[in-house]
Amino acid sequence: MTVVKLQGVSRYFPVGNTPITALDKVDLTLEKGEFVVLRGASGSGKSTLLNLIGAMDDPNEGEVFIHGMALSSLSDKQKSQLRSHYIGFIFQSFNLIPVLTALENVQYPLSLQRVANKEGKYRAAQALEQVGLADFIHRRPNQLSGGQMQRVAIARALVTKPDIILADEPTANLDSETSKQIMDLLGSLNRNTGVTFLFATHHDFVLSRASRILELKDGHIVKDEPVQHLNLVNQIALGEEVG
Amino acid sequence: MLRLKLALLNVLRNGRRSFITLLAIQFGVISLILMGGFFTSMYEGMRENVIRSQLGHIQIYQAGFNQFGSQQPEDYLIDAETLHKVTKLVESLEQVELVTPRLNFTGLLTDGNRSLAVVVEGINPDKESLLSSAVKLTAGEDLFEEDTDGALIGDGLFKSLNLSIGASLTLMATTADGSFDARDVTAIGAISTGTREVDNRFMRMNLQHAQALMYTEGVTRLVVLLNDTKQTDEVMALLSQAFKKQGLALELRSWSDLADYYHEVVNLFDGIFFVVQIIVLAIVLLGIVNTMVMAVMERTQEIGTIRAIGGTRSEVMGLFISEAFILGLIGSLLGVIFAILLAQGITAAGIMMPTPPGSSQTYPIRIFTEADLLWQNGLFGLLIAVVSSIYPAVKASRMVITKALRFA
Repeated sequence: MTVVKLQGVSRYFPVGNTPITALDKVDLTLEKGEFVVLRGASGSGKSTLLNLIGAMDDPNEGEVFIHGMALSSLSDKQKSQLRSHYIGFIFQSFNLIPVLTALENVQYPLSLQRVANKEGKYRAAQALEQVGLADFIHRRPNQLSGGQMQRVAIARALVTKPDIILADEPTANLDSETSKQIMDLLGSLNRNTGVTFLFATHHDFVLSRASRILELKDGHIVKDEPVQHLNLVNQIALGEEVG
Repeated sequence: MLRLKLALLNVLRNGRRSFITLLAIQFGVISLILMGGFFTSMYEGMRENVIRSQLGHIQIYQAGFNQFGSQQPEDYLIDAETLHKVTKLVESLEQVELVTPRLNFTGLLTDGNRSLAVVVEGINPDKESLLSSAVKLTAGEDLFEEDTDGALIGDGLFKSLNLSIGASLTLMATTADGSFDARDVTAIGAISTGTREVDNRFMRMNLQHAQALMYTEGVTRLVVLLNDTKQTDEVMALLSQAFKKQGLALELRSWSDLADYYHEVVNLFDGIFFVVQIIVLAIVLLGIVNTMVMAVMERTQEIGTIRAIGGTRSEVMGLFISEAFILGLIGSLLGVIFAILLAQGITAAGIMMPTPPGSSQTYPIRIFTEADLLWQNGLFGLLIAVVSSIYPAVKASRMVITKALRFA
């Protein structure tokens, strides 16, 4: 089932009098349950693509569809509701609300959906348990490690049961060990929940978990290959044992 | 629930800034309550002074007196029979504290060297001493019924004639039948009504002596004093109905109808109060706007996150307005509490105010904290806080999500 579809999407940003092309006539389809890694150098358009799919930005040309709904036809309020119900976000710097506990941070998207307080707490606690933070639910972000904060952010993205989770460099602020743990967690969540993941990253170890790898260069998708094809190459590239 | 908790936690997040904002709201509420309370006490003092020194609560006249009486006052006197009947009727009402007759006329007072035009009031001294409790004796002794030729002289007049207690004077006036007569009077005391213009040309004497001078048994008016000023309209209606029923050709005036100066002062001070309200509003408003704009700036990335995870523009607006509401509520409640305490302290201190323009008496600062004043100004503080947050809240809600997320 197609979750996301981009048709001829272009996005320009004015720098002085000259428009800089961030994305140029991009066509893309993401299917349910895919674990897609988006690679590319800084400025290649990864974040722009995620923002457009996340209904946080509008293309200059082309159309973005989520579940067949054209985003250009939606009002700002409808886009907010779409983000609330269909899309989860994981940010590079976690973006937790500092005054709320881990439980409350995870419950917050549910309260935006007007889910009753009791049910919201229950579902948030479940989501935190899923990411291995059952014992940390009453801690504030400043009482958690970077890896724990990112797990809270993952629980927050998952708690609304979205169809797609967009993650912009989710391991960039974590050490390599914690990054691997986070990636393992996301991989297992992808397998267990069937939610589609789209990652922007430049960490190569992420590639081994991907079911599909997209590569962006100068606003174009220059590579779009399934992982079966790439697995061997990746393992070699990562220096892992080929078995 | 969680959204409200978030608003509360955000208020507590930057304690010092919230404290300063609370001080601004409290400053506004306290200033308005103290000023309003002072004005209310002043209005009441002035009103009761004018009622208890000159006007009473209600005055009863012969029909037509207020329209034509100034030209021919002798034609609009209440005769003795009507006076007796009306006095009995008025005294039968439970709201009435007392009713007393007055005979007013103008005359010429002379000490043999100088003559001055005066406004004379013939009174019943016993009753008038209760009614005119705000009239202060500044020299000599009070007037009693047995002081047949005694007179109380307005203290401005007393001074301008350079009188001493016991001085013999002659009062000349046109009688009710149009002739001219004179009586000797003795200055037994000097009085102050609280209004300088009145004190400069006013005197009081026994009603019988005044009636003898005027060749009449009638009176100009009956002055009614009630137990409570709030009963004025009710008693006016009752009397009006009773006079109609008994066929008495009389007309009524309330203290409010007669107290033009009081209304002018009230209007003037209400205008001043309005200007002060605007100034306080501007100060508090700017204070809160500043706090909220800083909060918006500091929490830009957080606003972006809330919007990214599904918060609508109105959700973001609601968050900031809720924070302002909480600040306004706490600030207003504390403002009301501190205002009550300050009002009680200032009133208890008994600080004297200088003599106001047109008045001849000083008075202590009293600050009334009536329920209406408290809740209206408390609500005012709360509304200012909420209104002040609208601009920053709109600004926050209109942020571009992607830019807000990149904000560091």
